[in-house]
Amino acid sequence: MTADRSVLQSNYPPGDLAIWIFILAELTVFAVFFAAYAFTRLQHVELFNEYQLTLDREAALINTLALITSSYFVVRAVSAIKVDDRRRCVHWLLAAISMGLLFLIVKTFEYVHHYSEGINLSSNTFYMFYLSLTFFHFMHVIMGMVILAAIAVMAARGKYSRQEHTGIESGASYWHMVDLVWLILFPLVYVMR
Amino acid sequence: MKRLSELLGIRPCTLIYLLLISFSLTTFLVAKMGFSGLGLSLMVLFLALIKGQLVGSYFMGLGRVRGIWRWPVFIWLFIPGILIGMAFYLSYP
Amino acid sequence: MQYQSQAVAKPYFIAAIALFVAQVLFGLIMGLQYVVGDFLFPEIPFNVARMVHTNALIVWLLMAFMGASYYLVPEEAETELYSPALATLMFWVFLVAAALTVAGYLLLSYSTLAEITMNKLLPTMGREFLEQPTITKIGIVIVALAFLFNVGMTILRGRKTVINLVLLLGLTGLAVFFLFAFYNPVNLVLDKYFWWWVVHLWVEGVWELILGAILAFVLVKTTGVDREVIEKWLYVIIAMTLITGIVGTGHHYYWIGTPEYWQWWGSIFSAMEPIPFFMMTVFAFNVVNKRRRDHPNKPAMLWALGTAVMAFLGAGVWGFLHTLSPVNYYTHGSQITAAHGHMAFYGAYVMINITIISYAMPLLRGRNAANSAKSQIWEMWSFWLMTISMVFITLFLTGAGILQAYLQRMGENPQPFMVVQEHISLFYWLREIAGVIFLIGLVVYIASFFVGQNDPEATTAN
Repeated sequence: MTADRSVLQSNYPPGDLAIWIFILAELTVFAVFFAAYAFTRLQHVELFNEYQLTLDREAALINTLALITSSYFVVRAVSAIKVDDRRRCVHWLLAAISMGLLFLIVKTFEYVHHYSEGINLSSNTFYMFYLSLTFFHFMHVIMGMVILAAIAVMAARGKYSRQEHTGIESGASYWHMVDLVWLILFPLVYVMR
Repeated sequence: MKRLSELLGIRPCTLIYLLLISFSLTTFLVAKMGFSGLGLSLMVLFLALIKGQLVGSYFMGLGRVRGIWRWPVFIWLFIPGILIGMAFYLSYP
Repeated sequence: MQYQSQAVAKPYFIAAIALFVAQVLFGLIMGLQYVVGDFLFPEIPFNVARMVHTNALIVWLLMAFMGASYYLVPEEAETELYSPALATLMFWVFLVAAALTVAGYLLLSYSTLAEITMNKLLPTMGREFLEQPTITKIGIVIVALAFLFNVGMTILRGRKTVINLVLLLGLTGLAVFFLFAFYNPVNLVLDKYFWWWVVHLWVEGVWELILGAILAFVLVKTTGVDREVIEKWLYVIIAMTLITGIVGTGHHYYWIGTPEYWQWWGSIFSAMEPIPFFMMTVFAFNVVNKRRRDHPNKPAMLWALGTAVMAFLGAGVWGFLHTLSPVNYYTHGSQITAAHGHMAFYGAYVMINITIISYAMPLLRGRNAANSAKSQIWEMWSFWLMTISMVFITLFLTGAGILQAYLQRMGENPQPFMVVQEHISLFYWLREIAGVIFLIGLVVYIASFFVGQNDPEATTAN
């Protein structure tokens, strides 16, 4: 699982250290939320198993694929700027943003569906967790897209180059974090029972 | 990973991407076929943790970092992973 | 002092310190009333002393925030203040309003005060911390608007730094959330719900932005570290503050009749509120370690680092102690809350204001960079006296709170409130002693403004 020893290059992760501190803080909040979900489920196993089946797993799969694909596009964008290919970098970033948009659309349809069935935070403990967790993540997708859009604009204006691309790496790291959280959220809330 | 991707003639990140996609599809199929139970839950969880580590090491680039910054994603996966696993283990009588 | 108009900050700082003294004196009176119930009765009943204690705190912190802004905004914007005359006028309006309000608390019965200030027309009185007569509240809004206008125009006209923008965001939030003090629904749940929008979103939201901006300013000035580094930290700190602080309001919604999900939202998000404070600690020490020069004003640096540590302990750790809803079920409204309140307000907001006063006052009084060595020694003594006694106040109140929660709410035979109060009176006595030492520290602090006036400035060598 580890990369080749000879390519260990740095003491610090790609991007600005400040964004990493932020990422860690955000991840901590999600970790606490996940653990809370799992242990609360322990007290209401039947309830959780019953209502988990009302979720739209196809939609969740599409969203998982959308976020992974989006993350991959961002990786390609970073590779592109490292060889000074600004145009391609911008294209990859735009592709990544459109995948994020797809996520938001699919998720919104899910919410509308739940809403039309009269489900809200007070319906039961499972829905409380499902809605809270996914909505908190939803907000992060929006935030991540804003960051991606900002770096795409900067990249288009030629602010980044082979030598200086910390900004892109910072935004990329944040976006991967949004993906990472969903990779746990998806099986935990939609699949595991 | 690098050698394998060279063998296949694709970029390492593309290989990781394909792995992530196939793991996700597997997870989905488990759900779709209506499987449940402790073993399957833990397997799905383990797959998710592997996916997380792939994203951390290859997409986020922590695999190329020396020292403590190599580990935050691993720790983040490990601790909640243990906790979630434990909670699910306890939920089966 | 680089700009003449920064001088308007001086009366704000002086009045703030004067009100600080009043706050501590009334704190001591109440502290004694905990154990000697009829002390100063009927002249100053407990409820009045408490009102003066908390209101004086809020008003002096606001005054010091305004002073700090008038000092740092022109310097950051690299231009004179938009209207120094307006700032001075607003100082007097604010001071007179505050003095009249306190006089009203002390001389009239609260109901009479409500009657003569025509509370009936727009009832806003009678709620904890928002006891001020409606007319005072309107005065506060006018002062705040004039202040925001003045500061905003200055920022608009000059250089736009991150520190200034974060400060402006915090100050605007402060003004906006105060408007909820005028919303007073009949439904008690709704009343409490929005009451917290003032109280919580001030101290655990927008005030933290002000704190971050002031701290960043003092660190830029005293350490000479690159602005870029400090700004980056500021971004991360405020983002985390807002994420945890806003939803963290939920930790006040456990027992007031709001939906159940607040138990979870409140617990999880407020449990993360120490994170931004911890970042602030790391940030301050990091920056000081990387300092490019040794500033001759050592007390300012001491207060800045003190803020970073004590805010984390008081707001972060002591807040976390009782923020999870299963814990809060037992500790709600006990002396644990008082312990947290004391150390959080002192560690975060009292200390940051003294930090900026410590940095700015020598300059406002005509020094080049710092006070004389003698004055600095007095000031550093006051730092340790006040800080250590506050730690003890907090520890004694925590002890009292743990015992109180246990005797009154847990165990086989829960005892009545007043019986338990008897049991914990030893802690109250100890707290009162620590409080007296705090007052001595405060006297030393004030003395530091007067000693060594004629001595030469301290240099980095000492």
